[in-house]
Amino acid sequence: MTDPQQLSFEEAQRELDEIVGRLERGDVPIDDAIKLWQRGEELYRRCAALLEAAEGRIEELAGDAPGAEAS
Amino acid sequence: MSKVEAIRYGDRSVYSVSAFNRGVAQWLRRLPELWLEGEITELRRNEAWASCFVTLKDPQTGATVPVTISRRRLDALGLDLADGERVHVQGRAELYEARGELAFRATTIERFGLGEHLAALERLKQALAAEGLFAAERKRPLPRFPRAVGLLTGVDAAARGDIVTAISTRFPPARLVVAETRVQGPSAPLAIVSSLHALSSHPAVDVVIVSRGGGSFEDLLPFSDERVVRAVAGCPVPVVSAVGHEQDTPLCDLAADVRASTPTAAARLVVPDLDELTAGLARSREHLGRVVRRIAERDRERIARTRDRLRTAPRLLLERRRSALTASGGRLRALSPQGTLERGYAIVRAQGRVVRSATAVAQGAELEVRLADGSLAARVEEVLE
Repeated sequence: MTDPQQLSFEEAQRELDEIVGRLERGDVPIDDAIKLWQRGEELYRRCAALLEAAEGRIEELAGDAPGAEAS
Repeated sequence: MSKVEAIRYGDRSVYSVSAFNRGVAQWLRRLPELWLEGEITELRRNEAWASCFVTLKDPQTGATVPVTISRRRLDALGLDLADGERVHVQGRAELYEARGELAFRATTIERFGLGEHLAALERLKQALAAEGLFAAERKRPLPRFPRAVGLLTGVDAAARGDIVTAISTRFPPARLVVAETRVQGPSAPLAIVSSLHALSSHPAVDVVIVSRGGGSFEDLLPFSDERVVRAVAGCPVPVVSAVGHEQDTPLCDLAADVRASTPTAAARLVVPDLDELTAGLARSREHLGRVVRRIAERDRERIARTRDRLRTAPRLLLERRRSALTASGGRLRALSPQGTLERGYAIVRAQGRVVRSATAVAQGAELEVRLADGSLAARVEEVLE
């Protein structure tokens, strides 16, 4: 299993959804259920951290296009 | 054509003015017939003149060139040209040798207004459509979580600001790469193509928005330029076309993967809504907790029930055995003589043997009468039939 810290938001969110789905559907024994739940929590924390930490960034592309104006 | 000769002064070659003008005029005559497009200004016609004069103006830059046309030809065309009308002029470059002045000697003039632009655009549209550039199969889905959004925008603070605000509001962590580009004028198409290339080459850009605020038909023409349309169609990352307003349909709209008619619509296409994402995440987590608790509950119940069954089992067993015993006991008793005795019957014996009949004993015989709880010694008084 990949370290949640290595996952992108998209990957982590997808895995979290998969885990919830599995627990819903399967007759998962309590030991496995708890392990999956812990993994799910880690994934959730990863997603939340990514959303909070990221700052919007605006990067200007250098105007070397003919006729492009420098900002 | 007479050769232009220079006069020599020592080692310097010098031309007379006439010779120079004649030489330049000769050079100009090598240029082929051309078509020019521009606006009519300063139309001068006089019955007394053999030629008429027009100053043809480039509407984008204001540059002008003098145009001459024979009065007879102009009258034959039957146009009633007014100042500012856009026309196409066919003719050749010419130098008026006496003055060294450049002019364009026209052979014919045609009106070229909106109608012709539209027709030309329509032809281009058909041609590109036939090549399959606008086919639905070529449209690509937009990435849900782009690492960066490329934005091609005009040098107009308002238009750029609208889209940037829309994106940053919807998804504050969004990373934008902005290429401010000249989007109007004759150099616009190449500038747009170049910016598009630069944006799509950026390593983190996963989607590009080509945007331009509203404007006149002419203002938006660069976005229907064939080079721009081809660049949009061939762009390696998905392109959102957000050019003009709802009613405008520049050709790049057709070549793009998706069209957006407002900055907000564009933002909605390229980035997710942060609030929805956060809420969705919270829901997932809650759901996760609920499901696990449900499993734990179910397990706990199962165990409790098992424990209960375990507890009651021995008691039940005992109960069952006891009632079985009681039943057997009852049956046994029913069958034994004791029961009969208890019901009131007696066993009579004479000389150790059970007496079954009244005729088996004589008067005076000694009897032993066994009752449920004891015996009696008795003597027969009388035998009754």
